[in-house]
Formats: sequence, C-alpha cells, structure tokens
Amino acid sequence: MSEPAVEVKNLTKVFQTGSPGANVFKKGIAGSYVVAVDNLSFQVNSGEVYGLIGPNGSGKSTTMKVVLGLMSPTEGSAKVFGLDSGDIKARSEIGFLPENPYFYRHLSGEETLKFYGKLCGLKGKALNDRISELLEMVDLEGARKRRLAGYSKGMLQRIGLAQAIIQRPRLVILDEPTAGVDPVGSRQIRDLIIKLKEEGISVFLCSHLLEQVQEVCDHVGIIFKGRMRQEGTLEELVSIENRYSIVLEDASPALIKEIEKLVAKEKGASIAEQGNPKTTLERLFLKIAGRKESDA
Amino acid sequence: MTTFTETRIKIPMFSPSRVWTIATGTMTQLVRMKTFYFLLVFAVLVAAIGNIDIKSASSVSQLETIKKVSFGTMDIFAWLYAIVATALLIPRDLEDRTLYTILSKPVRRIEYLIGKLLGVLVLIAASLALMFTLCLLMLAYKQSGFIADEIKMLQAAPNVTTAEIEEQVKLIQRQGVRPELAVAALASFLKSSVVAVMTILISTFASSSLFTIITSIFFFLIGHAHGMMTDFWLHKTEGNLIIRMLTKVFKLLIPDFQLFSFSEGIVIGAEVVPRVVWSMGFLTGGYLFVFLLISLMIFLYKEF
Amino acid sequence: MPSKLPNWLKIVLILAAFGLVRSPVENSLRRKMNTAGMLLPTPGHSAMAQMGQSALMGMLGGLRTLVATGYLLDSYRHFDNADWDANRKSLLLATYLEPTEESHWVDLVWHRGINAPAWLETRARLPEIEKRILYHEYTRDAIELGEAGLKNLPKSVEIRKQMAEVYREKIKDPCGTAKMYKEMLGLEGAPMYANRFYGYFLSECPGKEKEGYDHLVNLYWEGSHNHLPTLIKKILVLQEELDIPVPLWIREKDPDAQKQINRRIKKPKPLPGGIVIP
Repeated sequence: MSEPAVEVKNLTKVFQTGSPGANVFKKGIAGSYVVAVDNLSFQVNSGEVYGLIGPNGSGKSTTMKVVLGLMSPTEGSAKVFGLDSGDIKARSEIGFLPENPYFYRHLSGEETLKFYGKLCGLKGKALNDRISELLEMVDLEGARKRRLAGYSKGMLQRIGLAQAIIQRPRLVILDEPTAGVDPVGSRQIRDLIIKLKEEGISVFLCSHLLEQVQEVCDHVGIIFKGRMRQEGTLEELVSIENRYSIVLEDASPALIKEIEKLVAKEKGASIAEQGNPKTTLERLFLKIAGRKESDA
Repeated sequence: MTTFTETRIKIPMFSPSRVWTIATGTMTQLVRMKTFYFLLVFAVLVAAIGNIDIKSASSVSQLETIKKVSFGTMDIFAWLYAIVATALLIPRDLEDRTLYTILSKPVRRIEYLIGKLLGVLVLIAASLALMFTLCLLMLAYKQSGFIADEIKMLQAAPNVTTAEIEEQVKLIQRQGVRPELAVAALASFLKSSVVAVMTILISTFASSSLFTIITSIFFFLIGHAHGMMTDFWLHKTEGNLIIRMLTKVFKLLIPDFQLFSFSEGIVIGAEVVPRVVWSMGFLTGGYLFVFLLISLMIFLYKEF
Repeated sequence: MPSKLPNWLKIVLILAAFGLVRSPVENSLRRKMNTAGMLLPTPGHSAMAQMGQSALMGMLGGLRTLVATGYLLDSYRHFDNADWDANRKSLLLATYLEPTEESHWVDLVWHRGINAPAWLETRARLPEIEKRILYHEYTRDAIELGEAGLKNLPKSVEIRKQMAEVYREKIKDPCGTAKMYKEMLGLEGAPMYANRFYGYFLSECPGKEKEGYDHLVNLYWEGSHNHLPTLIKKILVLQEELDIPVPLWIREKDPDAQKQINRRIKKPKPLPGGIVIP
C-alpha cells in the first residue's frame, strides 16, 4: 500500500493569548492558553480528496498550517509522505492555496507563476512551458499579462491554484477554496479539484461550505472545537440507511398508483416523500449562466 | 529501503537562486508600489537647493551651503527610504498572507530574509546612485556659474593678478565637485544598510508596517546619542552606578548611528582616510551579519 | 542536548557580545575619524541647551550639517537686519554643530569684529560712551571667538587672517596684528605677505620696534625679491627713528621720492602727428 499523503497523529496545538477564548483551559500571568487543536488524528490517502469540515474557529486552519510547516505542533505529529511537516523536503511535495489569497498585486498572472516556479527551482523553457500549460488549465490565458490587482476573486483563486501546483506536487492543500467565489467560479474550482484527483494528486481541503465539499470529497472529517467529531467516506456519512429513492421520468398517474399499492402491501414500509424533485439554485444558476454564454 | 520521496527531492542547504528570486521580487514590488516617486521629490528639492541665494555670502560660501544641503538631503532620503521600504516588506507579506504561499514552497526562512534584505539594499544603492548623480550635476552647474562670475568680477577689479584669480577659482573648486564626494555617498549607503537590517529585525516581531516604521525611526534617533551619552551621562555622573550601567547597556545593544554619519565631514572637505572607510565597510558587514542572525532566530520560531 | 536558554535571552546575549566586540573597534574608528575631521565632534552641553527642540532632534537624527546650515542661513538674516546678538548666537550654534568648519568661525569673527563695529560707527544717535563700550565689547568678543575657533582648528590661516584684520582695522593694535601674522608663518596656505606684514606691524608695536626692524632688514637681505617699495620705505624710516648706526643702513633711495621724481619727469603724451608739447 502506498504511503499516506498526510498523516496527523494525536495533534495538539495550544496558543498563548492575551484574551480569553472559547477553549481557555488555563489562565496565568502571561495570559490565557487556548487549545486550538486537541488530540487530532486523521490520514489523507494518496490520490484521494479529503475534506476537513467545521465551523469558523474549529481548528481547521491551524491543522492545515501545522501540515504546511508554518506552525509546529505542541504535541503529536504531522507527516507528509512520511516526512515531518517541518522538513523543507516535505514542502516541495505540497502545493498550497490559502483562503482569499493575496498574491503580489503588482505582478501579472504570468509573473506570479514565474515567481513561484523559480522558488521551486524551475527555470528556462521548462518553467515557461509549465506556465502556459497551467494558465490554459485554469482558463486564464487571456489574463496572462494582466496584473493581479485587476483580477476578480474567482480569477485570483484560480491563479492561486495554478501557483500551488506549479512544481507538480503530489499533495495540494486548499483552505476554503470556494469561499466568496460566485457559483460559476466555484464550479470551475471544483472541476479543477476533480481534475487534480484524476491526475493522481492528493487533495486536502478545509471548508465550511458543506454542500460543495460533498461534491468532490472521498473522505470527510468533521472537526468542532479542535476535536474530530466524525470521520468516514462520504457515502458512510451522508447515506440514510433505512431509506431508498427511485426517481421516475414520464411516469403515468396509473403507474404511480400501482407503486403506492405495492408499497402499502408490504408490512412496515411506507412512502416518506413524493412529488416533483427540486433543482438546486446553484444548478439553476449554472444552467442560466451557461445558456447566456452560448447565446452570446 | 529508499522511498520515492527521498530519491526525488534534493534541496540545497542554501540556494542563491531562490534568494535572488525573492530579491528581484522585492525590487519589482517596491518599484511598482511607486516608492521611487520620492526621487522626483528629491529632484525638485535639489533644484530648489540649487537656487539658494545668500546675497551677503561669498561664492565659496554659497557653493558650500548648496553642497551641504543637497548631500544632507540625500542622506535623509536614503535612510528614510531604507526604513519605509523595508517596513513595507515582511509585515505586508504577513498581512496579505503572501508569506504563507512563499513559505509553503521549498524556501528556507533565511533565504526569504536575505532575499528581502538584498532587494532593499540593491534599491537603496540604485536610488543613492541616482540622487548622487543629480547632486553632482547640480553642483557642477552651480560651480561653473560661480567661477565664471568670479573671474568676470576679479578681471574688472584693479590690481588683481592672474595668480590671485587662480587662487580664488581654486577656492571655489575646493567646495565644488570632488572625487571624495563619492565616499560621502558610500557613507550614506553604509548607514542606510545598517538601518535596513535593523528594520528587518524589528519587522520580524512587529505586528504592522506602521509599528515597524515608528520603532525603527525611534531607534535610529537614539542611535545617534552614543557620543552624547558618553560625554554627559557617563563622564559627568561617574558616581551614579545605575546611570553608568544603563549607559553601557544602551551602548552595547543599540547601533552607533552617529559613527555612520561620516559623510558630513567629507562633504565639508575633510580628508578621506581609506583604511577607516574600509573598516567602516567591515563594521557594516558585522552589523548585517549579527542583525540578520538575530532576525532569523526570531523568524525561525515565528508561527504564522 | 538542546539549549535550555529562552530565545529572547540568547538574542540579548548575542547583541551584548556583539556590542562588546564592536565597542573598542567603534571607539578607535571614532578617534581616527575625529582626527581626520570625517566625523564631527559631539556638541557641548551649552550648545544643546541653546538649541531649539526640533534642531536638537534633527541633530540627533544625523542631520547635523543641515541644522548647521539652517543656523548659518539664519545668521545671514540677522546680518541683514543688523541684529548682531542674534547673528552671533546663530553662528555660534553653527560652530557648535560643525566645530571644524572654518568658514563658520571666520564669519563669526568677521561679523563681530568688522561688521558690527562698522555699523556702530554709523549710528549717529547713539551716545558716544555707549558706542565706545559696545565697540570694545564687539571687537574683544571677535578676538575671543577667533581664539575659540583656533582651539578647534589650530592650523587655520583664514581665522588668523580675519583676526589680524580686526586687530589692524578696528582695535588698531599692531602687536595683536603682528602676533596673528607671526602665527601664520609656516602654516599651509599662509599668504606670501604674512612674513612682511609681521615685520611691519611688529615694528609699530611699542617696545618691539627694533625686533620688527631686524626682521624687515633680514627679509631685505634675503634677496631682491623682497625689495618691495613698502619694505624699503619702512626700513628707511625705522633706521632713522631707531638711530641705527649709519654703516648698517641699507643704501636705497626713498621709493616715495623716486615716485615724485618720476611723476615730475613723466613724459607728456605725444599728440596726433607725433608733436610733443613739453
């Protein structure tokens, strides 16, 4: 079995703070201590998309920063492909997109990718080819020479994703990748995540937008007040075991009556819900936006 | 067993190319943030200084005043630029979270710090070179004007010999463009370098650019009080142990910026001692090394 | 074994160790730069007390030459308004800030010793006694300021020239004037005439006339390059006044008499056509 992309074991992170927080466990002269992450363990398998979900302040970003080596654990450990997360070698395997990224606004899209590419040791033709490939992938070729100050939030998120994968990392870490982005942008980002997965890249993302996570994640962990509350595959977490649904198309009223009769015959079984299925507002928005684009 | 990861990754202990990437990024950042606009302000000021006209002063005295004011202004602009530009770098990267994306790449923190400092130093050197050229051009222009006027005036006066005219011209030339002035510009650069590395150090624990600027200016000002402290507090309060101790602590911890003000003496015509200038260069190197080391000690353990 | 010292303590220790290493180096560099004039000495306590708050801050901020220039410009303003005390104060502050700047001292002696007394002479309404007191005060002050300048710049010819002018023109003290010219001798940049002037004024200094005469005669015998009309005339007058034995007299004609003869036998300009009218 291949090495896990991320392995977090008994991770605890305690902050010293001047002001008391929700998880204050000790008060001293120097201030209060806040437990941001409490004995957290999970694993992101190679090639899968793992979503860590939870409300704001639940410890998601702290966990992510420990995995990135931006913070060191108070207790426990975090490993990336078997390497300690503080090891610089681990970082060459990681691509990171922070929440609402602010890159150097004075650089163009191309210059931004060049800057991060050079930091990863890429240069010359290989770097230029990779930049062109990525700009095409994130659909920003038209904005190649435009400075980031003129980019929309969705464009920033996409250029952020491109910089994250510039060195072809094996793991991509995304912090709230779709937060604040309009449905079209959000859809593009989710499509890109699926594409990354298809290319065999492991993705570890944090989000509080549950519905969007649901669509792309293989594994989900629910974190609340620094602790892992529930974890499993998406199927395990969201399926209601004693229910089953069949969606019919162009069925006649007679056929529906027949089905109702059949259900009534079975002891203990009942129809919990029936009627016309509803589309989501997002799907409706995407349909309209797509129609407008083709009209144009 | 060798894993895939181990065979794939080779990261040097220190990468000059990554440092240079960060340095060039810093330069582009500062240039595009239009921090160079201050050079326009400087050009206007130099033009204004060139028009200083003291009717009752001699040509020599006027030229000397113009030279002192323009080189003094250049010195202020250099150290002020060093503080403001440096203070805009790390705190801003942190505020904008750009630092996250940089440090999540295989970049060592020392490389990031050196890259930032190098970028600022190159820009300070470039701006000083520009300001120096402006000053020299203005000084040369004024000098030729003063010499022409003086010759005209002396030739019109009775009983003035050619030797006396030559002597007067030499007096004006002594206050004009001289090669030693380049050493004065170098002195401003050395001072600004120490200011920049001190600002980097402050910015590693500062919470904002504004805090960094204010604190750096504060330390810069009191760093000029070394001579004063030695003269007054140490010598005149010999019996007071606490003041003596405090003075010594102050002298040990805070850079002596007064020592770096040797451009002032050179501008007013002091002889340049090359060995001393070299020593000041090495001292600057010492400050850069130690302050960068301390910055790293703070930055290495800093959690973002 | 990892160090148990907290990070902040390590930092303070490194700073202190660096301070200990650099302190003697910096002290030595400071001395060398002070000697070479590259670094300006720390202004005295009195200068600080007299300086305005902003000027003091400016000085602390390494803007000494700028602050000094500010005071210099201020002194010119006071000169234009004939406010001599304010002019003195501004220039004195400039000298505190740049004690090795020769022109500040020269200006100070010039304003105080020449301009201020000259201005007094034009004040018709001022009572004579007050004029005399102020005149004496200004000129004495000029000399004292000049001497203070010479303490900072012992090799300055320009300050001595300016002090000699005050002695000569305003105090009318040939002894003081001679002293200034004597001090110039051997200094770099001393004017050629300093040696002669020393003799001229020494010969006018009561009790030193013979010494002055001997100096001038020595100059005369040094060579024909010193046989200038003023020097010859001075020796001729002195040899009579001092009853110098005739065998020791120099055998020269009175340049003034020669001048008069020349004037008398001056050839008239020829008229057009070459006609000369006697």
